[in-house]
Amino acid sequence: MSSTNSIQIGQQETSFWGRLRLTLARRTEGRGVALLAVVLVVVAFTEPLVFTAYPVSLGRIALIGLVALGLTAVILMGELDLSVASTLALSGVVMAMIPDVALGVIAALAVGLVVGMINAFLVAIVGINSFIATLGMLFALRGLGFVLSNEAPVRMANTDAGIAFGLPLLGPLTPRVLIFIVAFIALQIFVSRVKAGREFFAVGGNRQAAYDAGIPVKRRIFTGFLISGFVASLAGAINTLERTAADPTAGSTVLLASFAAAIIGGNYLKGGRGSIVGTLIGATALGVLQVALTLTGVQVPVQQIFIGLILLLAVTTDPANLRAVLGSIRSVRQGRLKSQT
Amino acid sequence: MAKETLTEVITVADSDTSKTTVAPKERSIVGWIAENGIFVFTALLIVVALVFVDGFASWVNITDVFHRAAPIGIVAVGMTFVVISGNYLDLSVVAQVATSAVILIAVSNSYGIPLAMLAALLAAAVFGVVNGVAVGYFKANAVIVTLATTYIGLGLLRLFSGGSIFFGPQDGLIREFGLGKLGAVPYSAVVLVLMTLVLAFVLNRTNFGFLIRSFGVNESATRLGGTNTALVVIGAFLVTALAAMVAGWVLAAFSNTAVSAMSSGYDFRALAAIIVGGTSVFGGKGSVLRTLLGVIFVSVLTNILVLSGITFGYQQMALGVLIVAAVAIDALSRKAGKR
Repeated sequence: MSSTNSIQIGQQETSFWGRLRLTLARRTEGRGVALLAVVLVVVAFTEPLVFTAYPVSLGRIALIGLVALGLTAVILMGELDLSVASTLALSGVVMAMIPDVALGVIAALAVGLVVGMINAFLVAIVGINSFIATLGMLFALRGLGFVLSNEAPVRMANTDAGIAFGLPLLGPLTPRVLIFIVAFIALQIFVSRVKAGREFFAVGGNRQAAYDAGIPVKRRIFTGFLISGFVASLAGAINTLERTAADPTAGSTVLLASFAAAIIGGNYLKGGRGSIVGTLIGATALGVLQVALTLTGVQVPVQQIFIGLILLLAVTTDPANLRAVLGSIRSVRQGRLKSQT
Repeated sequence: MAKETLTEVITVADSDTSKTTVAPKERSIVGWIAENGIFVFTALLIVVALVFVDGFASWVNITDVFHRAAPIGIVAVGMTFVVISGNYLDLSVVAQVATSAVILIAVSNSYGIPLAMLAALLAAAVFGVVNGVAVGYFKANAVIVTLATTYIGLGLLRLFSGGSIFFGPQDGLIREFGLGKLGAVPYSAVVLVLMTLVLAFVLNRTNFGFLIRSFGVNESATRLGGTNTALVVIGAFLVTALAAMVAGWVLAAFSNTAVSAMSSGYDFRALAAIIVGGTSVFGGKGSVLRTLLGVIFVSVLTNILVLSGITFGYQQMALGVLIVAAVAIDALSRKAGKR
């Protein structure tokens, strides 16, 4: 075999196990899969009702997952969108205020796009850190939701549409779950097959390099925030349809769970690494966990503690973080050794 | 120790390049607003309030402003340490203030005040260390970490307190402190001023304060200078936790009650005060005294809105827009400075 016209980088793995190991090393969903496995096994033994009452579980997964999908698009670029919770609440309120359902949904989605536009403007053009910019938006939009709703839940005028929306449409799947599946497939294709979506990874991995390579970084940031705003408002509209009323305080528990889902699913907060599949796995684990806790009659504070602990665990056990910790411990130890000699 | 070394390095560098003249700092309007705007805006706001707002210039109202500003202000001056160290903010102060207030009232009812204070101190230390270790050692994002600890803390508090309201005794040291005044100024405002002075001293005059600021300017340079940067981060979160604990005591003493939901919105009011005061969310730049000014601005603004009969929703909107605008000015002034 001649190797004159090919450059060999590292050892070429030819055996099946070698290739499998390489594929697994490239994936980022490890922690999500581990959590899902633990949750599924524990739930199967303690509360099998979660699986028999699967429409409830699927609905929960769809709600957490939908918001988490939008977040993933932003996190892949190393940005964060904290305003999703308020976007969800605000678009729900706007939708409930409009008597016509179709018009309401369109208005709600428009709210999401406008919010995404403002977020992206603040981050890409003004140059504010996305954590702080979207945090400010979180409070401002919550205030706007309170103002529009007079600080009380808004009832939908057309409750029949809401009731029809809650019924299974295709087999046992409700429209909410179907919309989530469609959004998942669309986003998966977008980030893995479409050029603009693949550029998200480049922008998140190394922004300067992406810029130098001719990728329109600012336009991609706009795309990302538009996606997360749109998806959050979609979740808000679905929430309102299912409850036939909009709560201006909605979304604060979803915020925590969807962040936990996206981060435990292997999406690196500094950007460049992660996957839509990972988010789905994380959302499934957290949705099943939440439904199981509710069905076993665990109090709401305990559920908050559980989700909070998972989020804390998710954000501290990121492989890159752990490597940094090990590296700093090693360097401190080496420093000690040197100072002793 | 590190302070002296760095000063030496700077002196050496200065002596080498003493002949090269430093270009004068470019002046820009945005830069000037970011630097000095808070003084003008606070003065303007107070003048406007005195002239146009009915009921602002009464002693009862001013005392009320003091009472409301004190706990938020104490949280804000503490949280300034986290912001200056470049770790964005500590959202979990909401849980910390409520925990401290509930512990003070609930424990002192059955075991006395000293033991209650000790228990609150312990809780604050746990909060500070957990946040600090996660951010400092594990290099996790401070916003997400403190979001998680907020929910864990509030969840634990609701679990143990059952969500019920705790009432203190009608006469006792706590009540006396809550209603008492030094001259005409409520004790709570005195505590705020004392905390500000102490923390300003720590930030500006001590080695620890120097490390906080240098960590905010350049993390890796501080680490390479031989500092254990993780400990600096833990220290910043501990200062915030201690300030939040004191704020919880002040809040509990003022109302003589404590409930887990009493401090909602403190995270964002404190952040608004810090950012409006001119402390940069990019880290390294800012001061505790500026935060005090920001607290006055935010408190007077809120008071004007309340007196004008503007509802809670609009107040939230106003403060959210205020945060975004203040950070935008800071970001734009940085851009202008780079050019």
